[in-house]
Amino acid sequence: MSDVLGPPLKVSHRHRELVAGHWLKARRADRDHKIAWVTSGAPVEILKALDFFVVYPENHAAICGAARKTVEISTEAEDAGYSQDICSYARTDIGTMLSGKTPVGRIPPPDLLLACTNICQTVLYWYRVLAQHFDVPLILIDTPFVYGGEATRHALEYTKQQMEAAIPIAERVAEKPLKQQKLEEVTRLGKMATELWLEILKRNQHHPAPISVMDQFIHMAPIVEMRGDPDTVDFYAAMLNEVDERIEGGIGAVLDERARILWDNLPIWYRLRYLAEFLGSHGVALVASTYTNAWGELAPYLDSERVMDSLALAYTYPILNRGTGHKLNTMLHMIRDYELDGAILHSDRSCKPYSVGQMDQRDRILRDKGIPALLLEADHSDSRAFSEAQVANRLAAFVEMLERLPRKHRPCPPGC
Amino acid sequence: MNDQLAVELPRRTEVAQAFKQDGGMVAAVLPIHYPRALLRAFGILPMEVWGPPNVDPGVGTAHVQAYVCSVVRNALSFLHSDTAKVADLILVPHACDSLQGLGSLLLDFVQPEQPVIPLYLPRSNKAQGIQFLAKEFRSIYDRLEEITQRSPSDSELMTNIRREEAADVLLAQLHSERRCLDISDYDFYRMIRSREFLPAEGFIDLAEKLRSRMGGKRERAIGVMLSGIVPEPMETLESITEFGGMVVADDLACTGRRLYPPGESEDPFRRMAERILHGPPDWSLGRSIQSRIDHMREKIRSTDAQGVIFYSVKFCEPELFDLPSLRNELDRSGIPSMTMEIDLNDPLSDQALMRLETFFEMIA
Repeated sequence: MSDVLGPPLKVSHRHRELVAGHWLKARRADRDHKIAWVTSGAPVEILKALDFFVVYPENHAAICGAARKTVEISTEAEDAGYSQDICSYARTDIGTMLSGKTPVGRIPPPDLLLACTNICQTVLYWYRVLAQHFDVPLILIDTPFVYGGEATRHALEYTKQQMEAAIPIAERVAEKPLKQQKLEEVTRLGKMATELWLEILKRNQHHPAPISVMDQFIHMAPIVEMRGDPDTVDFYAAMLNEVDERIEGGIGAVLDERARILWDNLPIWYRLRYLAEFLGSHGVALVASTYTNAWGELAPYLDSERVMDSLALAYTYPILNRGTGHKLNTMLHMIRDYELDGAILHSDRSCKPYSVGQMDQRDRILRDKGIPALLLEADHSDSRAFSEAQVANRLAAFVEMLERLPRKHRPCPPGC
Repeated sequence: MNDQLAVELPRRTEVAQAFKQDGGMVAAVLPIHYPRALLRAFGILPMEVWGPPNVDPGVGTAHVQAYVCSVVRNALSFLHSDTAKVADLILVPHACDSLQGLGSLLLDFVQPEQPVIPLYLPRSNKAQGIQFLAKEFRSIYDRLEEITQRSPSDSELMTNIRREEAADVLLAQLHSERRCLDISDYDFYRMIRSREFLPAEGFIDLAEKLRSRMGGKRERAIGVMLSGIVPEPMETLESITEFGGMVVADDLACTGRRLYPPGESEDPFRRMAERILHGPPDWSLGRSIQSRIDHMREKIRSTDAQGVIFYSVKFCEPELFDLPSLRNELDRSGIPSMTMEIDLNDPLSDQALMRLETFFEMIA
């Protein structure tokens, strides 16, 4: 038990069972299911309703990152000619594809690939490589980037048309027809889980924040890879209960919360604990994150009574499919709503769509909010891009700036 | 062989100024695909910005991280320079995550004096993709109507489309007749890249003059395919000539991947969409790796190229993703290949030149 961080969430053991169970089932899922590999922002509802067993290569790569297996596995891809300048998630999964190396035992090969460009164009390049290797159909849902304001009507139409066109392809691979009722049920469950997740995140508006962003990173796997499952709804309902109990009991993620900050971009999977403890030891709580928020903020768009229209909206509007100004506004709103004192923007070498714009976003946060904002260069999964000494220096300087700020917020006493 | 270009090329700035003096406007256009004819119908001359090389990257460096390619970093710097003031608007087609970021930065933070118009290219050449792109062009038409206060008719659009189609047919002929053109690679690329800034009618004149000078085949030159984004620094082409080589097949984003076929539809918006989406296979339009392999093999066969030089801009992720599959398939077909990685602001290193020379020795 840490002497600077609050007690771990009790629901964590249930999370471990859920996620481990998913990957354990995956090992032999190809015996009685068709297998689909999908991107994290893909309209998985269609495939779930067709009983595909769904594998998320990005989540697998995140597991490799957290287990510090990325360098070993991605070296397999690099030896085959894949540059270190391409996304480390992709390199890891291509490494697994080529070598079979994985910390999850076995990943069943795909019968179908589904990629949606709403998180990046990288997934398109990556899934083209998978399609070439496995020689299976690739369904692409191409979601036009929303530069500012709202998506055009023709962009939403185009996205919906592609989803409709995907159904017969998926049915052919699944060897069964899609049942509307099942699609509506999966969408309804996905919406419920997403709403619960958003509520959990919003509870961090409380002082002290009951959970940290690191807790959110660790517990977000089901909302990404088990969206649409009843177990996922049950899990997040239990997590929300526990978060409320922590608020009731005055339990914070950091024992002595003196400053509250924002995290932008993906986590640094192989240094979660280090970052949490370093910041916690200075009374700094990581309270909100644009990344974990992205898995909750689309809940209002989902509607099981008009599934295809709602999926077109929900999958067009992820933060990564919107402009740099929109992301800045999201951060500014979070800084206001969560009463934050600073921001760390992880400049992630492996994620250009998330990272391009951060230099201006940082400057605007400093200018408009007058709070410290730090650009921290690393990689979400490849530890070779992480300079321990440089990060420690920059974090120390950042914390010093936070400590000099007047204390705006006082922790609430228990029960406030 | 003549070392001098058969026809004299005007400078970009001269072309832009002359066009504006005649009452036209100029658009700075970022890579890769866009409808030239749509701009021309509004009296706007597109001038493409592929970097450009040798720009002080200071401004770009202030906005994007070091792991973003030099095409984007230089473009940001260039668009901030006095030279770019000649442009009345900036068109930013969507090609990759970095160019997407560039468009977004221009709109949200950099906010240049000129209007910035983003354009999304669909990653599908099926019916939905063509329909979407035609509608995307219609919405750009509306923006241009606001900016220019002009409303070109369908007939005017079709006239411009047909002129661009004629220019592209000639461009494709220059590529296919490469071995018969009595001109160095350096000058050949200067010539075909003038399509990036000359009006179609000016390019047609130049291309016809060049074709009239077709000479004997340079049988002894070792033909190669050049694949990548942009042949910068252009001195690389001189080195290829020096090592006894000749670029006979082109898979560059700025040239060979934009040999658009004529469209079919009589609806001008749809026709412009068809042209781009039925062009050579390109990752930026979502085409499969297999389609790229098939296309490259066919080009290599028809031009008798002896090898492929993959000429990538540092940090260009989409090019890097395709590279291992392309090279493996070429290996299987017995076609040697090499890779060179460049930054627009750096000259080729001696080591890179030595590798290039060795490659030509190997395939000779």
